[in-house]
Amino acid sequence: MSQNSQAGILKKLLLRKKKSGRLVSAWIALCIGCTLLLVSVIIWSCFQDLLSGKSGEDSLGATFLTISKKVDDASMAQKGSTQILSDDIAHIKTAPQVQDVGLLTPANFKVAASLGSGQMSFYTLLFLESAPDRFMDKMPETWKWQEGDNTIPIILSRDFLNMYNYIFAPSQGLPLLSEQSVKAIGFKLTMGEGANQVDYRAQVEGFSDRISSVLVPQSFIDYGNQKFSPGSVGKASRMIIKVGDPSDKNFITFLEKNDYTTNAEQLRFSKMRSAVEVVSGATGILALLLMAIGTLVFVLFIELTMAQAQESVRLLLQIGYSPKKLSRFLISKYIPIMLSALLAALLIASSFQFFAAQKLNSLQLKINPFPGLYVWTAVIFSAIVLLLQINQSIKKAINNRI
Amino acid sequence: MQLKIEQLIPVPLREKLNQKHSDVWLQNLLIESTEYIGVQAPSGTGKTTLIHCLYGLRHDYDGAIFWDNKNLRNLSGEEIAELRKGKASVIFQDMRLFPDLTAWENLELKRTLTNTVSEKEAAEWMNRLGIGDKMMALAYTLSYGEQQRLAIIRSLLQPFSFLLMDEPFSHLDHQNTILASQLILEVVKKNNAGLLLADLDENEFFPYHKTYLL
Repeated sequence: MSQNSQAGILKKLLLRKKKSGRLVSAWIALCIGCTLLLVSVIIWSCFQDLLSGKSGEDSLGATFLTISKKVDDASMAQKGSTQILSDDIAHIKTAPQVQDVGLLTPANFKVAASLGSGQMSFYTLLFLESAPDRFMDKMPETWKWQEGDNTIPIILSRDFLNMYNYIFAPSQGLPLLSEQSVKAIGFKLTMGEGANQVDYRAQVEGFSDRISSVLVPQSFIDYGNQKFSPGSVGKASRMIIKVGDPSDKNFITFLEKNDYTTNAEQLRFSKMRSAVEVVSGATGILALLLMAIGTLVFVLFIELTMAQAQESVRLLLQIGYSPKKLSRFLISKYIPIMLSALLAALLIASSFQFFAAQKLNSLQLKINPFPGLYVWTAVIFSAIVLLLQINQSIKKAINNRI
Repeated sequence: MQLKIEQLIPVPLREKLNQKHSDVWLQNLLIESTEYIGVQAPSGTGKTTLIHCLYGLRHDYDGAIFWDNKNLRNLSGEEIAELRKGKASVIFQDMRLFPDLTAWENLELKRTLTNTVSEKEAAEWMNRLGIGDKMMALAYTLSYGEQQRLAIIRSLLQPFSFLLMDEPFSHLDHQNTILASQLILEVVKKNNAGLLLADLDENEFFPYHKTYLL
């Protein structure tokens, strides 16, 4: 008996009038509120992951832009009018939203690609470009070149392959090429002219969604420009920039005012991103509201139960039960209910995240399939808020009876 | 332990009580915890009000009540609980039992708070007062007399220095009054405690050291 019987009698006195139907609805309300809060945190944090490109892939492709100076009628006649100068770089670094700027350095010498001989032969003049490594979305292990190496790794814009496969090849009766087959074919790159001409072997190592170009390692472009076109070192016409929010009006105005052009589609896409950001923000606010309502329903349930037990509470205090002892007893009875609702919410939200991750994975969008730091923070935060609320309403109910 | 009363007067009764002499109201009293005090309180003189004020249930009074030199008005909820749990016990006139609990549960609720009286002893006291067979009966089904005996036993299930009683035998016959008062006196002595009984008439339930007219 003794302590156990005391707890049993207290339970009978204070919680007996707890209607199980009411308890279930309060539990469900709390659980829904918590679930929505956690789901909105998950949506928000996954979205942040996708946007900041933490998943390695440039999944939403909106944070990197290639920009160059606009070619208009006046600049057409001027040679070198689109060249990026160091002042331009310094200037664009000050633009709103810009986080990083890099030059896309072109090969300023003649490059020809050729493959095979006889009827199946193929020959074309080609351009090459390099980007600083930190701007690359694909970095194969073989992505390096040093003087003396005969093979040059290449990363090709996926757009180019698509154009070939969907437009050029069908119209010319040429065979289609898969990414794997392109990677398997090595071809010859001929650099320079006349006595300065050198042949290299080139191998496509990957495809980029971020930069529309034929990319080779920076070390090769630096070497080639030095060797085949000594006067042109450092000349570049395109920049790649990393921007926080490319749809920022100030940023777009900056580009327009300074006659820079960029891929308009990327800007349009980033407007979508802003729209999604607004929607996820609104979801967050709605979730917070529902969480508040869920908490309110639960707290009202507790207060109703306390109100029904008020005479017992008053009498218990009169026979010597301390307010602290009674609140501890009651809180210990409500905490498991509250925690089970929160735990159920966490389970539901995690399953949502897991299935969403699987679904998105098939769309080449990678998100964390398990709750991350933000979700756990939200769980702990909700638990603390609920605990404080429960504590407060129980203490209030007891102190009113003293 | 000491109980000190200074110029005490309940606000609602002020007008009425001002008109006649009282040994308690508007007096300064010092009661030691070894004293047995009888308070004779004709109807309407504030007998229950006095007990409730001393026990800290109401604060609508002028003057001051000190338990061990601590002003009752300034005690926190926890301190009042301590006072009621271990220093001052009470038998209410209206019993104040939990109607939906059994007689035994009513006692257990109080007994387990301090565990100073054993289950066996509590059961014996029930037998002594003739309600041993009512252990499992719900309190609201008991007669007033049985409820009163239960309330008496409940008040004894804790350590105390003072036992406050408000017409504790009003529903008991002579025989049961004797049994109950003997039990009370026995436990009061065991606790080295004092007692203060308020009743309508002069009585000899206990060997009082002092008797006051309210």
